[in-house]
Amino acid sequence: MSAPEDDVDQERRVLVQRLTFLGGGVVLLGGCKKDEPAQAPAPKRPAPPTTSHLTFTDEEYRVLEAACERVLPQDEAPGAKALGVPGYVDRILQTPELSRMKDDFPPGLMALDRRALRLFGHGFPDCTAAQQDEVLTAFKDSPEASGEARWYEMLVVLTLEGALGDPSYGGNKDRAGWALMGFTLVGTAAAEPPPDYDGRKALHVRCGDGKGC
Amino acid sequence: MPNDPVDVVVVGSGAGGAPMALELARAGFSVVVLEKGAHYQPKDFLHDEILNSRRNFFMPLPWDEPHLWRKGTDQPFARTNEAWTANCVGGGTVHMSGYFYRMKPVDFRLRTTLGEVKGASLADWPIEYKDLAPFYDVAEAELGVSGNAVPHPFLEPRSRNFPLPPLDEHPVAKAIDDAAKGLGWHPLPTARGILSQPYQGRAGCSYCTLCGSYGCEHGAKASTNASVIPRALATGKVTLRPRCMATEVTVDAKGNAKSVIYKDPDGVTQEQSARVVVLSCTAVESARLMLNSVSARFPKGLANGNGLVGKNLVFSSFGQSKATFRVSKSAGKRAWIDSQAPFVNRSLQDFYLMPDARFGFRKGGTLGFMWQHPNPIFAAVGLAKKGKDGVFGKALKDKLREYKDSRILEFEIYGEFLPNPDTLVTVDAKVKDRYGLPVAAITVKRHPVDLTMTKFLVERGEEVLAALEPDALERVGVAGETTILQGGTCRFGKDPAASVLDAECRAHEVKNLYVVDGSFLPSSGGVPLTLTIAANAFRVGAALVRRLKSGGL
Repeated sequence: MSAPEDDVDQERRVLVQRLTFLGGGVVLLGGCKKDEPAQAPAPKRPAPPTTSHLTFTDEEYRVLEAACERVLPQDEAPGAKALGVPGYVDRILQTPELSRMKDDFPPGLMALDRRALRLFGHGFPDCTAAQQDEVLTAFKDSPEASGEARWYEMLVVLTLEGALGDPSYGGNKDRAGWALMGFTLVGTAAAEPPPDYDGRKALHVRCGDGKGC
Repeated sequence: MPNDPVDVVVVGSGAGGAPMALELARAGFSVVVLEKGAHYQPKDFLHDEILNSRRNFFMPLPWDEPHLWRKGTDQPFARTNEAWTANCVGGGTVHMSGYFYRMKPVDFRLRTTLGEVKGASLADWPIEYKDLAPFYDVAEAELGVSGNAVPHPFLEPRSRNFPLPPLDEHPVAKAIDDAAKGLGWHPLPTARGILSQPYQGRAGCSYCTLCGSYGCEHGAKASTNASVIPRALATGKVTLRPRCMATEVTVDAKGNAKSVIYKDPDGVTQEQSARVVVLSCTAVESARLMLNSVSARFPKGLANGNGLVGKNLVFSSFGQSKATFRVSKSAGKRAWIDSQAPFVNRSLQDFYLMPDARFGFRKGGTLGFMWQHPNPIFAAVGLAKKGKDGVFGKALKDKLREYKDSRILEFEIYGEFLPNPDTLVTVDAKVKDRYGLPVAAITVKRHPVDLTMTKFLVERGEEVLAALEPDALERVGVAGETTILQGGTCRFGKDPAASVLDAECRAHEVKNLYVVDGSFLPSSGGVPLTLTIAANAFRVGAALVRRLKSGGL
């Protein structure tokens, strides 16, 4: 498969490129994944972690829901949660094309949670919306090559894919994401996929299970 | 079990490979076509942005099959998926937008026209426009091109109009016409490789709008998968082998091409022997295959005794601006705003060749006007931006609402890309793809004249957009390159010391090896390359048929 990485810079460039490939966001927390636990208070989490999800622990999923909702908050139109975005992210990270992101993305959620705890004394999901925005902004505005900045991009890209992708992936509930953008082509001018269509299965079949086209 | 030898093995089934296969098969020769990607059927072309545009349906994953990329010989390489076109039967013609322009006579004589340009490795072509013109006619008829040739200062000589009438146009085309004419220029309808009506058993365009970057489920787009390949297969002389990755071209003791080694869909190594080997894998990938085909006879790579394989890589110079029109602010002044028609189909070629160098360049290119691609995730990611410019939350949602209230008209530049010694393809033995092959390493250095030229063309395009009085006008860039449009890595020429291929696109050093993708192009012209690659492949195919029939290999 891919060639062995002989230095950290090379690895970093690969990850940056993965971001380009998805059209926007990425990955890997560089140092903070390992460094932060030593500085942050011991996380108060139940052990062992429980999960009713495919990719995330229940605790990670709560952070994911809160973070996606701040990217696309509920107002007069549905927000990320109502659109089914967290479920989309949970499922799409199971696809082989994103297998390495599946490893890189969840630690970023917990880094976000620890940052919130350190700044405001609460985990990310329990902060106020304004506090959550402050933490997300800090990640967004981190240096371009930092793990935080790239993780933020990945969060935004996955959220927008979930909100605006084909509904068969589990997001874009009732096509409300498309309605927000005024995107009406699929099902009108352009034929929609067949009724039993499942985008994730199509990725599996048509994209060769992550083995390339 | 070895495969039975055939007359010709063609590697690649896109704009170059498919016409070759068709020409040879019609003349009765047996052909095997090896195609790296899948043979998609109409039912596979679905309007799912995630599947189609954001994963590896067309393009390989950059960590499985990277192209190394750097701008400047002093920069480190990065792993990217730059300069891949679609990996599937039909290649890049499947997901192209189908802007089908011909090159102009000046493109064949650029070195003579411009004289010596410092820092550029310009060369005239070994053929003239009139040699290719009949095959432009053939390609337009075989693929199915819709358009209307109108007089303008750079209209290429044509024996006839396009085979199909123009597609329906969005009424904004008329506003562009008025604006451009007001500036003293000559707007022309953009010909498209899209059927405006049923043609040769294929359906006409349904105006679904999800066109460029998608495959067409109606076969209305002039992909070779919809047009040329079915006719080639119908001859009974062509065997198409999808999901077969060519890894090496072998040579015999005399230095003639003997066979193509490839991995079949199960990963098993296979060999296909043939009297003639034709490569058409894109300019980057054909060069890579040749550089990876090392033998005692060709220690620097196949047909590379003079070291020119991979050199003189050219892309198309890219620049773009976009104008935003708010639907809610259009009452009473933009009669065209409510039309959802997908095609603008207007171009400007007034700046194809400047009469003198007063603006810092002479060879320019084409401006093509179009609506922004309608993919919603693509649009939203662009609006969200990142870093200090990034927005999320209510601000992002409001931007998405603004988008709903917007029509975004843009233009693209297809500009000359001056070839130079520091823009080239090599292979990197340290970085291998999932087949274990050294990957292509692309080094790009832009000639400063290209950037002057692109900026000038972008400014002219902005004058047209400004005349339409948009609510916002945004410059996207003036220094880019369109890497799906590529050529030059096996340039053709009369002098075996200064070119890889002869005028028939046959390797000077290997008399039964042909390369028919964009590799042959010494210059990239000022238009997208697809139609020219197809026309040239029909030309080369006809010449090869004559040779095979006369025993003149």
